[in-house]
Amino acid sequence: MSSHYEAPIREPLVTGNKSYHDVTVDVAAPVEGKANKSWWLVFSIALVAFLWGLGCIIYTVSTGIGSWGLNKTIGWAWDITNFVWWVGIGHAGTLISAVLLLFRQKWRMAVNRSAEAMTIFAVVQAGLFPIIHMGRPWLAYWVLPIPNQFGSLWVNFNSPLLWDVFAISTYLSVSLVFWWTGLLPDFAMIRDRATKPFQKKIYGILSFGWSGRAKDWQRFEEVSLVLAGLATPLVLSVHTIVSFDFATSLVPGWHSTIFPPYFVAGAIFSGFAMVQTLLITMRKVINLENYITILHIEYMNKVIVLTGGIVSVAYITEYFIGWYSGISYENYTYLSFGAATGPYAWAFWALITCNFIVPLTLWIKKLRRNIVWTFFVALVINIGMWFERFDIIVICLSKGRTPSSWAMFSPTFIDIGTFVGTIGFFFVLFLLYARTFPVIAQAEVKTILKSSGDKYKKLREEHVSDDHIGEVEEFPASGGPAANTEAHEGEDDLNSEDKNNKNN
Amino acid sequence: LVAVSCFQEKGRNYQYFPNMYKSASYETYLEYDGDLFENGQEAKLPVEGTVSRGWMPYEYEDSNEGYQNAKANLSNPLPYTEDNVNEGKALYTIYCAICHGDKGDGKGTLAQREKILGIPAYNDAGRAITEGSIYHVMFYGLNNMGSYAVQTNEFERWQIAHYVLDLKRNLNGEPQ
Repeated sequence: MSSHYEAPIREPLVTGNKSYHDVTVDVAAPVEGKANKSWWLVFSIALVAFLWGLGCIIYTVSTGIGSWGLNKTIGWAWDITNFVWWVGIGHAGTLISAVLLLFRQKWRMAVNRSAEAMTIFAVVQAGLFPIIHMGRPWLAYWVLPIPNQFGSLWVNFNSPLLWDVFAISTYLSVSLVFWWTGLLPDFAMIRDRATKPFQKKIYGILSFGWSGRAKDWQRFEEVSLVLAGLATPLVLSVHTIVSFDFATSLVPGWHSTIFPPYFVAGAIFSGFAMVQTLLITMRKVINLENYITILHIEYMNKVIVLTGGIVSVAYITEYFIGWYSGISYENYTYLSFGAATGPYAWAFWALITCNFIVPLTLWIKKLRRNIVWTFFVALVINIGMWFERFDIIVICLSKGRTPSSWAMFSPTFIDIGTFVGTIGFFFVLFLLYARTFPVIAQAEVKTILKSSGDKYKKLREEHVSDDHIGEVEEFPASGGPAANTEAHEGEDDLNSEDKNNKNN
Repeated sequence: LVAVSCFQEKGRNYQYFPNMYKSASYETYLEYDGDLFENGQEAKLPVEGTVSRGWMPYEYEDSNEGYQNAKANLSNPLPYTEDNVNEGKALYTIYCAICHGDKGDGKGTLAQREKILGIPAYNDAGRAITEGSIYHVMFYGLNNMGSYAVQTNEFERWQIAHYVLDLKRNLNGEPQ
């Protein structure tokens, strides 16, 4: 017997009077339909950008790293900036699917699939940079501790660059498995609806013969929870390890103990901004406004405000410690008076504006719930977080301890082309994903439809007497969970409908 | 069993990205395939009459007069010490004993196998070798014997000369 109590303060997570079937149809529509002209247009642009980037990568590898704008002082610039940027973007996906699962945040269900897709595609982009920024990428396999004929020469496990290898590859594989596990019921749904034999065959293979029995579901839930438990420390450690690339060095401005949490916060900050950018577009283009509601956008904006705040505190801390340490070298680091007035002042102020000032507007509820403004802020944050990494890497390197080796960095068109290429590749993957994958975890959304769907919320309001709600509201703690489950048989249409559904 | 190595017994094996396998600089004994050097060799002869640091030319001529001259006037600059003699013995065993024999009696391995005949013993009265003549013959060679100036340096030749005189005294039954 089920009776349901949900605090009346909660807004519905699914709007538009949706039933189970409606969810199925809405999620399957983009997969079953045909791509329209604008999809092809955007896809072509992304593909061209990708191919251009591929050309730049091939040129770099075959000609040499000297085709980039790096110099002897600044040996890392756009390559590692883009690497950290993409890894950071990837972090929101895992945060949404794992951390929010641990916190039982039901609003994650409409966004987790796309956020995880974004994670995987972003990590793929990030994974390119450690390879292509190598002088001799064809020897990249030497980073793996494989027994060999050089007297079994191994790697040195003291370098954070090696930890990066393990972190990124583990992160990608765990995210991929987590994502794919969640996809099984949804692929099965598309398989069962498919009319064309080819499509049926493909989704039959992709869904691994999912049949949705009780035992399967039970284990599915357990696996999801275990993977979420594993992915949460992973998401924190991966970007921590990425931050170690800098924090373990002796470069002024890099050698900083706040980098690990600060980088993770920045990763979530930039990742959520990218999720906003993508989902605001996606909900409009494939008509998912009833699933990715303004409430979801507001929740994500709140996460952005939180992590943006953490990042801002970190900026202030860095700035303060730079002064407080009394070390003269700290005056040229990326967050210092010297940086704010030096040759990279534009990058410094771009960082402050994009990551600190503009996101502050999200404290205002009206702007937080404004889709256009959210989209704009998300874009600005993406730019700002790119500048954060650029500033950390380039400004700190450009003015090191010996003034005789001070230098400036300016990218070549190959630096830029490679970055543009990864953006193109990302969107190629994401656009293909949006047309072939169920972009919303329909199996999960169906579990909250009756508790958080507006249709059922309304039904409950109509059929449950106010005094019941009042009673529970009055004694929520003393009554305990039992107070919420008092049966109201007979008078509740909703319950009988629930029963019927279960029996079917 | 289908997988067969493509490694060939004759000829070189395949290489994976031979980045620094082939020398960019000139290596002493490599063949040179350009038109910069004649003979296709990277090792070139020095100019006649030049004297490099730490080396002095040998003053005696390669002729019968030069031989007599050296025999009479050239003396060993190295002191007769145990170290020098031992070194001389080692060098003698490498370069000389194959023909002249370990005892200097002209009965080396090649003589016993009759590959080369007519090798005199060091105590041959008609030759009456001196340290000067020993050195001179090592430098230029004599009759059938070739020059050993390429294999040994001046210092080593004098060490050998000490040892050869030792052998001569042994053959004569004289005390050391």
